[in-house]
Amino acid sequence: MDTMETQSQTATAIQTAAQQHNEPTWLIHKRLAALAQMPDLPMPRVQRFNYRDWAMMPDTLAWRQSAPELAATAESDCQIVQVGQTTVRVNLPESLQEQGVILTDIFTAAREYPDLVQAAFMTKAIQANENRLASYHTAYLNAGVFLYVPDNVVITDPVDVQLVQDNTQDQPLVSHVLAVAGRNAEFSINQHLTTVGDQTNLANCLLEVVAHANSHVTIAALDELGPQTLAYVERRAYADDNAVVNWAVGFMNEGDTIGNFDTELNGNGAQADAKVIAITDHDQRMGVNTKITNRGKHTNGNILQRGVILEQSELVYNGIGDIIHGAAGSEAEQENRLLMMSSEAHGNANPILLIDENDVMAGHAASVGQVDEQQLYYLMSRGLERETAERLVIRGFLGAVLSAIPAKAVRQQLIAIIERKLENGR
Amino acid sequence: MATLEIKDLHVEVTEVTDEENQTAKEILKGVNLTMKTGEIHAIMGPNGTGKSTLSQTIMGQPAYHVTQGDILLNGESIVDMPVDERARKGLFLAMQYPAEIQGVTNAEFLRAAVNARRPKDDQISVMDFLKELDKNLDILDMSEAMTERYLNEGFSGGEKKRNEILQLLMIKPSFALLDEIDSGLDIDALKVVSKGVNAMRGDNFGSMIITHYQRLLNYIVPDVVHIMMGGRIVKTGDASLAERLEKEGYAGLRDDLNIDVALVDED
Repeated sequence: MDTMETQSQTATAIQTAAQQHNEPTWLIHKRLAALAQMPDLPMPRVQRFNYRDWAMMPDTLAWRQSAPELAATAESDCQIVQVGQTTVRVNLPESLQEQGVILTDIFTAAREYPDLVQAAFMTKAIQANENRLASYHTAYLNAGVFLYVPDNVVITDPVDVQLVQDNTQDQPLVSHVLAVAGRNAEFSINQHLTTVGDQTNLANCLLEVVAHANSHVTIAALDELGPQTLAYVERRAYADDNAVVNWAVGFMNEGDTIGNFDTELNGNGAQADAKVIAITDHDQRMGVNTKITNRGKHTNGNILQRGVILEQSELVYNGIGDIIHGAAGSEAEQENRLLMMSSEAHGNANPILLIDENDVMAGHAASVGQVDEQQLYYLMSRGLERETAERLVIRGFLGAVLSAIPAKAVRQQLIAIIERKLENGR
Repeated sequence: MATLEIKDLHVEVTEVTDEENQTAKEILKGVNLTMKTGEIHAIMGPNGTGKSTLSQTIMGQPAYHVTQGDILLNGESIVDMPVDERARKGLFLAMQYPAEIQGVTNAEFLRAAVNARRPKDDQISVMDFLKELDKNLDILDMSEAMTERYLNEGFSGGEKKRNEILQLLMIKPSFALLDEIDSGLDIDALKVVSKGVNAMRGDNFGSMIITHYQRLLNYIVPDVVHIMMGGRIVKTGDASLAERLEKEGYAGLRDDLNIDVALVDED
């Protein structure tokens, strides 16, 4: 059969590329297994959002160098910067190195720390056979970062992870950030996704967090992929007993985007808090699943999403609270709100509660609305121009999420991006 | 000296009666009024007679349509101007039901409002702004904490009224329209609010005070009192007219003037 033949040719191509890249056998096997199961897997389901005609799986795995100067020059003490597949900078304070903290690119890690990587890489927070894009991700992985924070180690300053998609070349970015928090470890990551160049490319970016017992992980993510990028952004976490994983995501991509966020509260007493802000403009389409799964007893999940839809764009928020049978004493709260700034905008805010346990507390709120004309009239009656008044109302609308972002620098960056988008998007 | 002239003003609102039908209802039926800075005018009248419509129409609330007549500010017609432009030209409306805006602090909003009336290259400095703010908070017996709260959000009725007057003191318009600023206020709050308005009195400030009750006019003594009934001004006089009204009620005045309007109009 033709498709079988093509499949085996693709497998050979991936195997060859991975071997040229000096990858360990376990990783090559993982790639090939993922490739083999791809055709049988469904695409990730984003309710009320149709992306069937998006080309999200270009079948190339090739190794390319990117020019380091394409990265921003801002340096911090604890930082990894990658442009495309090229690692431009790694800074890790000696004191942290001495405590066993590892910060390196994912392929170096796979070779040098195979046990650590193999144990966590797509085994707990997400598995390659979960959906077709996850298996594509595994098979075609071409960039990434590994952060390992051993038991009891606390990193006070955020670990800065800057990933620049290199659209000066014709190549997809298939990037994996793997962060492992040992028992009682504490740290935060500031992830920044950006694009240089104007070629049309796919970005399939996955960040996974494995948070062992009593660890505390905070992720602030700022996504600013360019208009020529078709993006699949997946962020996943696995939280063991009493682990806490908090997310603040600014979804500011300029191109069509699928966002798939899920935190699995596996251990008893684990907690997650997910805050998501998105702005869409032009004829952009964006579908976002934000999910928290309560599996352990007395787990607590909280989702707060706000989005602003400009011009002819479309934004769909699915908030998914999944409480598994046995997760007694758990709580799941969510709020999804969208503000439409034009009559041609499309929005959908869907709270989805899947509850298979009696002893739980769950609640949801959702709304899709226009800017309140009474509010605008009031502000304008004090002399503010319509644009200024609208911006104030929108800022107020997003304020509930913005003010909850702990990293001040990220918050300010996000506010600046929002102001810029509102300036342009009218 | 600034002037505000209302000439033969007819105003309709569109009422949605059911899903398919809209009817226009005429509320103002030829209002004439001229005021100058330096003067305080009171507009009194029974419920549903068009007092609030008059103030909202002068300010430019889009739901009210001028079908005849004109509004002139310093000789220039403003009926086709959007609300923000009218504000920058010197009009201010203290509203009966101010909107609540989450996420925007009172102080931030006040500063934006003050700056909206100033040229881009001459925005107020933080020091000057805070000095002015402190002074006005003092006059209104308001705490500084009020300025860090979100605009009107969770404010009590009395706090909202005070906050309207705080905006008045900060923005310093030529003409302030005060729409039932006394409703829901206890006597102490009424005194404070009146003190705020009186602090603005002078050659560069005029005010149109809309009220049901004469009580407010004991604290802000008007130069001119107008009585509105049935969408028109039916009588104009000095402060003694309000006192007479307090004694005789609107019915007495109606009968004196031989006007045919229903007075119990609860809309």
